[in-house]
Amino acid sequence: MLIQPLIGFVGAITFAYIYRVPAKQRIFAGLVGAVGYTMFLLTPQSWGEIGTVFMGAMAAAICSEILARRRRQPVLVFLIPGVIPLVPGGQAYLTMLGFLQKEYAEAFVSLVSTVLAAGAVAAGIIVASSIFRIYSSTKHARR
Amino acid sequence: MDLVLHAGELLLTSGAEIYRVEETIERMGRAAGFVQVEGFATPTGLFISLHAPGGQVYTRVRRTRHSRNNLAAIAAINSLSREFSEGKVTAHEVKQQLAALTESGSPHSLMRQIVGGGGAMAFTLIFGGGWLEAIFAGLIGAAVLTVVALLQRYPVPKVLQAAVGGMAASAMALGLANVFPIHPDLTTLGAVMVMTPGVAMTTAIRDLLSGELLSGLSRAAEALVVSVAIATGVAIVISLGGR
Repeated sequence: MLIQPLIGFVGAITFAYIYRVPAKQRIFAGLVGAVGYTMFLLTPQSWGEIGTVFMGAMAAAICSEILARRRRQPVLVFLIPGVIPLVPGGQAYLTMLGFLQKEYAEAFVSLVSTVLAAGAVAAGIIVASSIFRIYSSTKHARR
Repeated sequence: MDLVLHAGELLLTSGAEIYRVEETIERMGRAAGFVQVEGFATPTGLFISLHAPGGQVYTRVRRTRHSRNNLAAIAAINSLSREFSEGKVTAHEVKQQLAALTESGSPHSLMRQIVGGGGAMAFTLIFGGGWLEAIFAGLIGAAVLTVVALLQRYPVPKVLQAAVGGMAASAMALGLANVFPIHPDLTTLGAVMVMTPGVAMTTAIRDLLSGELLSGLSRAAEALVVSVAIATGVAIVISLGGR
């Protein structure tokens, strides 16, 4: 199944274009997206939605931090497009539909899972970035 | 003095993290020969205070209003300030490059809309849509970006831009679903993803992480409000469509 990483790559690289990532870095931003999305798919389903999104976001953030140091760019350049494929847009949409159709019980369930998935993306970024901050502060000047 | 302020302002309006703005101000101020540099940045304003060796203190306040996401500008200023503090470029050159950056980055390019359509296609596939849905979502996504780019020329609030974009996407998807065998929800979903406030979301997380609670929360609020506005726009059309 090569098509899934490819979709993650396309999603990230097009958003790199929308947010005006420097032209030379777009390919790498796309790769970060592919890695994050593949990690999200490879994480066993038994970890639940939160676990899989968390692992995906963490993989994307680790790649972004490494690339930012290697290529002397701000981390945001890779991180923003990289986590885009993990954003729980589908769940948010279902939440909205549920409220519209007055199915409040289902709407609240998907609201909670939207918020938790968004939180998992944040947590993945925080864990990965913190590791790199600790590493940088023990070594030399941070970027 | 103005150089430092200008660099900080550009970073801030391009969507950089607060610590990067303050760090750049400090680095450039010191490189320009000031003994003490204090910078305070929030998403809506910038305060800097520079202490000259003679004892004078210069203070400037800059209110920043509209932000446009431009990661290329952040990257450019980042390396520019480094080169300046290493003495590789002169203050005059920095000034010219900053002016060029302010001019550049026209957000309304046709290419951007086409590529954005590609993004909408990818998202429809991620959310489980078929190829037909993806193609229509791509077309609608490009159209939505065009609509939002048109609105940006006028003083339309971001929230309203997002709501109108959501309405446009939903209306087009529902209309096409009457003619073609596509799922309107999946098509709308892919198309509205092009408006995702990704920069605000990610910057909010990084700001909160570095202890910038004020900017972190206000950027998180921006991301939330924009997302809710998109959903509201879609919801208005769907309920008018009588579902």
